[in-house]
Amino acid sequence: MLTPELQIFIAASLIAAAGGMLGSLALLRRMALVGDALSHVALPGVALGILFNLNIFAGALAFLIFGTIIIWAVEHKTKLPVDTLVGVMFTLALAIGALLTPKEDILEALFGDIANISQFDFWLASLISLAIIILLLVFYKKFTLSLISSDLALSAGYKPHILEFLFLMIFALAVAVGIKFTGALLMGSIIIIPAAASRNIARSMNQYLAISAVFGILGAVLGIFISKFYGFPPGPAFVLFAGALFFISIFFRR
Amino acid sequence: MNVLEVKNLKVVYDRDVALDNISFSLERGEALAVIGPNGSGKTTLFRAILGAVGYNGDIKMPKGTKIGYVPQKIDLERDLPITVKEFLTLRDHAAPEKTLGAVDLAPSFLGKRIGELSSGELQRVLIAWAIIGHPDLLLFDEPTASVDMAGQKTVYELLHKLQEEHNLGLILISHDLTVVYRYANKVLCLNREQICFGVPDEVLTPSELARLYGKDRKFYQHAHS
Repeated sequence: MLTPELQIFIAASLIAAAGGMLGSLALLRRMALVGDALSHVALPGVALGILFNLNIFAGALAFLIFGTIIIWAVEHKTKLPVDTLVGVMFTLALAIGALLTPKEDILEALFGDIANISQFDFWLASLISLAIIILLLVFYKKFTLSLISSDLALSAGYKPHILEFLFLMIFALAVAVGIKFTGALLMGSIIIIPAAASRNIARSMNQYLAISAVFGILGAVLGIFISKFYGFPPGPAFVLFAGALFFISIFFRR
Repeated sequence: MNVLEVKNLKVVYDRDVALDNISFSLERGEALAVIGPNGSGKTTLFRAILGAVGYNGDIKMPKGTKIGYVPQKIDLERDLPITVKEFLTLRDHAAPEKTLGAVDLAPSFLGKRIGELSSGELQRVLIAWAIIGHPDLLLFDEPTASVDMAGQKTVYELLHKLQEEHNLGLILISHDLTVVYRYANKVLCLNREQICFGVPDEVLTPSELARLYGKDRKFYQHAHS
């Protein structure tokens, strides 16, 4: 019933929709580069997954959760400058990942390859992306408030630190499922580009979230379509389409 | 009944004492003005009451006390696609139209984006946001520059009205002594430590003010027309 082709389209669309929505919230607080940095942290996990023939997703997720906890702790428990530490840690992770990854797999780890997704990975990626979308819809008001002003969130009786932690965990999950699609290097694009394009034209939060998801899906579907046609890897093809949408959206800036 | 009681409050940032030895209390229906020079810890006091910074000493509020907070500004990027209506309903409370009316803004503002507002309009939206949750205690941090909108009630008249209608405890950080005399029942003078606390006419003596702001500084005790 679900042909492998259809599965690829479904999984990629759900991943991109979840990433787009997540990105629209992340861009509320200039968190765009966290996605980029986090995806690099995933690389050693991806490498270990490949080396020991484990699931790549599990390896990536383990490292991502570890990286997320470190960012959160540095931000709230220490007075170290976050961006410096993030920059150092994440390039280190990239280097370790590059050393660990077998040569013949390095392209897949860096740029992803959803074309050879297994049955198990299809269900995993689709269900987790769906869960992310649902979580974001449920918590979107609370996340929005604590991302735009943690003091206002506190005054309303919310716990912004906890909400932020939950948001970063969802972020880590999204990056872990997205790695299969665009790879560690381009993962940030799923989160940043559709949201940045949507922000140019949206007039309200509801539109912003919805258009981000639609742009993500559009980029994913067109990217995979083109990659099938011309034999490109789908990850970079997605980025090209999403990037094109972004440049078009600039002309429609409200 | 006290809605807030602060005892021996001390806040330290990085070994730098931002507030020390602060004690005061506030009842429902009372307005307390907090005055002091720049960097004297006024905003820090609010952040301690909110629980946004760690502190020593006691900050006591009756259980279930709801706080409304109007910050000096919020750090929003201008192109953020969030409308006034969406912003007001982030708190899960309905009736944004009515609340906007209470701060003298027309319903047409609901569809505007936060980034399109002038600073005076934004301040009113922030007040609306604070009172939409029916607070028992309202914390108002006045912007340094006046942002009143021409031809409308001043923000202080507005706050005064809201305070009476809802019988809430109001703490306002003010840079304008006229406001203190006109709208506050009590005044707290801060310069990292507590310089004075009491009824404005009694405690705001020239010598106390000189202690607070330094001898050479001129106070802008100008009268509003």
